Amino acid sequence: MQPEPSRGRPDHNISMWGAPGSGKTTLLAALFIALTRRNDDWKIVGSDPASSDYLIDRTNALSRGKVFPEASMTLERYHWTLIGPAPQKTGFWGRKAKPGPPARIGLSMIDAPGGLFGTGRRPAGGVSAPDGAGDPRRQELLDNLERSRGIVFLFDPIREFTFGDAFDHMHAPLTRLAERMLASGEFTDGKLPHHIAVCVTKFDDPRVLETAEKRRLLTVDLDDPYRLPRVDSEDARELFRELCQVSASGNADMVLNALDQFFHPDRIRFFATSSIGFYVDRRTKRFDWDDFQNMVPGEADEDSRIRGQLHPINVVEPMLWLGQRLAAIRPATEIS
Amino acid sequence: MPEPDRDLSRKAIAQALADLADTGHLTLVVVAADGVTAFLLHRDDNGCPRGRSWSATWADLVGERGWDADPAGTREAVVRASRAPSSSGEVILVAVSSGDPKAEQALDWLRAAHPAAQVLRAEPPIAALVREVMADDPLTRSYELVVVLADPGSGRPRLTSRQLFPLGSRPGARTRVAVRCEAAGPYGTAFAVVTWQGPAPRLLSVQSAPLVPGRYEVTAELVRPGRVRFTGLPELSPDPRDWDQLVSALPDRLPGGVGPAHLVCAVEVCGADDQVAERLSRARQVISFASGELGDLLRVSLLAYGAHSYDPSAPELPVRVAAWKTDAGEALDALDALEERGAVAGGYPYHPHAAQLEDMLAVVVERLDWADPTPAVVLTVGGRPPHPARTDPSRLLPCPHRHDWRKLLALLRKRQGTVLGAICDQAADQAHQAWHGIGAAALAPLEAVDVRGLAAALGLVTPSPVHLPFPLLDETE
Ligand SMILES: Nc1nc2c(ncn2[C@@H]2O[C@H](COP(=O)(O)OP(=O)(O)OP(=O)(O)O)[C@@H](O)[C@H]2O)c(=O)[nH]1
Ligand SMILES: [Mg+2]
Repeated sequence: MQPEPSRGRPDHNISMWGAPGSGKTTLLAALFIALTRRNDDWKIVGSDPASSDYLIDRTNALSRGKVFPEASMTLERYHWTLIGPAPQKTGFWGRKAKPGPPARIGLSMIDAPGGLFGTGRRPAGGVSAPDGAGDPRRQELLDNLERSRGIVFLFDPIREFTFGDAFDHMHAPLTRLAERMLASGEFTDGKLPHHIAVCVTKFDDPRVLETAEKRRLLTVDLDDPYRLPRVDSEDARELFRELCQVSASGNADMVLNALDQFFHPDRIRFFATSSIGFYVDRRTKRFDWDDFQNMVPGEADEDSRIRGQLHPINVVEPMLWLGQRLAAIRPATEIS
Repeated sequence: MPEPDRDLSRKAIAQALADLADTGHLTLVVVAADGVTAFLLHRDDNGCPRGRSWSATWADLVGERGWDADPAGTREAVVRASRAPSSSGEVILVAVSSGDPKAEQALDWLRAAHPAAQVLRAEPPIAALVREVMADDPLTRSYELVVVLADPGSGRPRLTSRQLFPLGSRPGARTRVAVRCEAAGPYGTAFAVVTWQGPAPRLLSVQSAPLVPGRYEVTAELVRPGRVRFTGLPELSPDPRDWDQLVSALPDRLPGGVGPAHLVCAVEVCGADDQVAERLSRARQVISFASGELGDLLRVSLLAYGAHSYDPSAPELPVRVAAWKTDAGEALDALDALEERGAVAGGYPYHPHAAQLEDMLAVVVERLDWADPTPAVVLTVGGRPPHPARTDPSRLLPCPHRHDWRKLLALLRKRQGTVLGAICDQAADQAHQAWHGIGAAALAPLEAVDVRGLAAALGLVTPSPVHLPFPLLDETE
């Protein structure tokens, strides 16, 4: 954890949430690339030197070094600002938007080791440090969750095929969070005050893409020069449900129930996300159903690498959605 | 007309014997001063003359009662003693002594009983004369040696016979025949002589000896009808096997190399150093063994393939054709160079779980001469699976050239005389399914290769041990 440079900057606190290896850190690392690949005017800047360095380092490692981030060991907080295009005549976010200056969304991102979301009863993969129930990092994570109003929840269908522990990594912190919210009187309508962006990660994996294809959930954005297949937010929930069917534990559908129990339906949105996206041949510059995997597996003791250019899918969208929703609800809170 | 001349008698008997049909009988009744002797001659299944004789003295015939007591009874006893069948078969009466009244009387009775019979006068001993005539009987069948020939079409061994003595041959006749003998099992190589009658050969004699494999100039000599002696060989001894046993001992392939072949060895040269070295050494074993068996009938090609690169900035090493249709020596030199180089294409950006197997198949398909009927044996030595042509559930990245190993294998399998074998890092039950196609004819595990067994399964050599029960006809003379 880094010291919090409290400079009175209004940030919306957003927490990344997901089992170990579900792709939290990679998602953040891909954010800059994702923004540059968009042809709207959104950009991201670090709000402090450490956060800027992180953006630069991760972007380089990912796009040039073609390496994935290491499994996280500590809780990291990054302060970024999403700077959007100048709003047009009517305010982008309704009455609170002021025409003229570009929209800015301050993000304070918390990226924790996935193991901290576990039940604390058994060691979870990806974390070597002690992370039992008494782990101070666990407390800190909960503090942050309590303070934040936006959650990016990462559901890793590949992990779910093999371990089936997404529910375990969601349920424990969720009930704790509910406890705290209840105690602080913020559990008013029986729901948490948070917005949650549920990202079905690794959409680029053939098993995930194939599931979406079989369910006819794929669309292609006509403006997309690469013609990458994607799943609209409206259909992402169905993809999520479909992927739950093949969960190794059969508990995945409980994730859906828990989401509905704890979050207001308006505050849940699903995304079919891929941080690295599909492989696109540099000459044809078109998505190719015959050859779209963008990962090169590593030798036995090495990690996988990224094969070609990154074409992040639904990496910016959850952040923008959260940022816009949070900004619309109330002015950003000061970071304590 | 009675004729006392022994030579004339011999000629008459010989002529009668020569005229003797396969199913007929020739009876010679010799009337001497002391009694009668009957010789019954016929031909056996091989056309050899065979004879039996019975003798009876006058006393044997009439007993106590005396010659003259019952003339009718005596006559009947004499005629019965001649053993000649009354109706069929030729009868020759031979009078040995002249003037003996009993003999004359008996001769008269016999002439009366066999009015068509020739009557000869001759000096004893008649038995010796009959034996001489029989031994000198010209062959009524062709005598042939059983040999093996390679069928020109299939190369498979086929039984045939090589004539030793034509019809009419007489004892003393000699024939030379060149044969090749191969390892022949516990009984040795059988020199079987058959006669031909109708569609099937009839075994006349079989003798055998364990022979050092090689070429033999054999001389066959007709000793007498039914007896052929072979010289130019170690001593032969009787073989206990009958014809059916001998024929069923014929293998369905000839021993040693089966003929010209093109061995295409493709070796995966990516992965752990020691594994690559072991694969190359297996390839060496197979090439060396096949070349030892086939000599210059063997052509060898050697290919090396590694892993695909999935980073366009690191161009990959294409499949390397280290030797194509060269002799074994040149291919082994190329193998030296591959060993020198060792493992290639390791680490990023090379794919660690699959190899350019499909590219290698494409090269082989392209390089093989599809009009060449020489059998081609494609032996792949490796372990990784091929890349799929397109993204599939294996999640192995697709081949950058989109080669489809299934299609390429199907093409190879369709090619006439093409055999697919493999030596795989993993045991057959653990090998990727592709290896079962790549090693369709034989799939051997890398750690334990029975080189001869593999070469045999691939049709490069015959399975061991192949015993050839008969000599091979050597047509090189
Ligand atoms: N196919 C695919 N794999 C991904 C993607 N993002 C991440 N991964 C894989 O998932 C692994 C883990 O990613 P991380 O970003 O480290 O996951 P995390 O949630 O931060 O993990 P912890 O820090 O251990 O909690 C990576 O090493 C990749 O192998 C993606 O977009 N697509
Ligand atoms: Mg992480």
